[in-house]
Amino acid sequence: MSMPDTSVPRRLLLGSTAAAAAGGLLTGFGTGRMRAQAATTEQAPTGPGFRSFYGQYQSGIIDDQQQHAVFVGWDLNWREGSKKQQLQALLQMLSDDAARLMSGRGVLADTEPEMALPPSELTLTVGLGQSLLDVTGYGKVGAMPAFAGDELKEQYPQSDLLIQFCSQDPTVLHHAVRAVSKNLRELTSQRFVQTGFMRPMPGKETFRNLFGQVDGINNPADQVREQAVFGDGQNSWIPNGTTLALRRFEMDLDRWDEVDVAGRDFALGRRQSDGSPLSGSSIDDAVDLSAENELGLPSIAANAHVALAKPGHGGETIHRRGYNFDDGQHSGLLFASYQRDARSSFIPVQHRLAAADALNTWLTPVGSALYAILPGIAEGGYLGQQLFG
Amino acid sequence: MRHRATVAFGVPAPRVRTPRKLETMKTKMTTSLLLGSALLLTGCAQSTDASSQSPAASSSAEQKSTQAQGLTTSDTWAKAAESGMSAAFGTLHNTSDIPLELHRVTNAQGDEIQLHEMTGSGQNMSMKELEGDLVIAPGADVELAPGGNHLMFMDLKKPLVAAQTTTLTLEFSDGSSTNVDFAIRNFDGAKENYDEHAGH
Repeated sequence: MSMPDTSVPRRLLLGSTAAAAAGGLLTGFGTGRMRAQAATTEQAPTGPGFRSFYGQYQSGIIDDQQQHAVFVGWDLNWREGSKKQQLQALLQMLSDDAARLMSGRGVLADTEPEMALPPSELTLTVGLGQSLLDVTGYGKVGAMPAFAGDELKEQYPQSDLLIQFCSQDPTVLHHAVRAVSKNLRELTSQRFVQTGFMRPMPGKETFRNLFGQVDGINNPADQVREQAVFGDGQNSWIPNGTTLALRRFEMDLDRWDEVDVAGRDFALGRRQSDGSPLSGSSIDDAVDLSAENELGLPSIAANAHVALAKPGHGGETIHRRGYNFDDGQHSGLLFASYQRDARSSFIPVQHRLAAADALNTWLTPVGSALYAILPGIAEGGYLGQQLFG
Repeated sequence: MRHRATVAFGVPAPRVRTPRKLETMKTKMTTSLLLGSALLLTGCAQSTDASSQSPAASSSAEQKSTQAQGLTTSDTWAKAAESGMSAAFGTLHNTSDIPLELHRVTNAQGDEIQLHEMTGSGQNMSMKELEGDLVIAPGADVELAPGGNHLMFMDLKKPLVAAQTTTLTLEFSDGSSTNVDFAIRNFDGAKENYDEHAGH
């Protein structure tokens, strides 16, 4: 993971004047009148510190995890008239907002555009609940089912719309969330804001969760990750789209304090000290559920977290991209995972964990939602355009 | 935000502008004319003579460009409002080598739309309808922004709904015109009060 680069591409400093001048020939004639060219095809900046808004997939999914995140959920407030058209207009606006913010520009009507620079690897990743897929008549991801042990709180519900904002800089992140939230005001009612943080361990896409455990060790990488998240174009709800499972787990850290190291390692199936599995000695060793200790007992207990979380088959593989949270009253894990079809991966795994995971003693699920994450788009397009064909 | 609702606007009630007589017949341009003439945007001699813009005379690639053809826009947006007044903003750029004289702004529902300018500074900013045309010098930008020049909807006949788009027709002194889309956004600034009793 690279650290944020504070240099600003020269292109950005040229501003809209140069962009307008470089706009080229006039296009888009109306009937009988010409239409002035809008200089919206400005090329997005690239380089360190920038993630691309445009591409096959949305950013913020299989690319390196940034250190700070805010997940915001909204329900739509419908006006009279076509819901589909209202949703389409909203997605067009969000696409414009995301493209501008990720390239270090303020949104339209931004009162503090200066705060957008440098974007520090800002990403906005947009997802829809099944309720909005139903408005378009396209796609099925379903609802998140209830799991054993759920004690869901009203303030962390399923929402119609979700945006995952991530950046290396919490100030940039705050501006982006506020700018988009202002644009959505009146069109939506905000349902939740869930803020998260993590610090990647050197050279690894892992971080310590608030139990002190190394999290993310078994995450798939590279092509395995891409396949797990997006599939082959046929086995996800839409080509180049995916799903996001968002679960909020409060940790009982006071009672966790009472557990000695051996008990902690037994519950997880890995050592807190270095993340190595109890069946091995290095963090890079595979979890071996058949390994036995010197007493002839399984090295990793059947109800250890890693035993139950291990994918039963390749189709159960998920890509975790979660964060720690501390809201002042509670702290824990903001679990976020991407998978091409949650019904055949995240959901069966979570049922296994909810039923028996030894860590459940110290975990309380208080939020739960499932979203359809939209495919990426090329310049000139807008997120969700495939749903309005 | 460069100015707030507390700014005293010492302007009298807005004049209702009587649209100047435009030779609108000459502003009607066909798509084929545009396709033909848009290919060459450079080397235009200065021309404000609307009579040269008849379709028959415009079919040649050597036709002088209209003012409307010299306009590009960026970051155009309008303030969401259910009714009453609102405003539109953005950057207007003149790509041509003749001055663009923005004469009038209209839209499909017939709203009254004025060109406004802000004068004064600090707490003594005031707003008034622009005298004459808004002139964009060759190669220059005019920024329409809260607290500065802007397009003013005086009494909306239909709501401006956030996230949607509204189209305005910009008419120039040579009779040419162009449609510009403005993205509608929520905005808490630009609370200029045009009530005639304001400040009294």
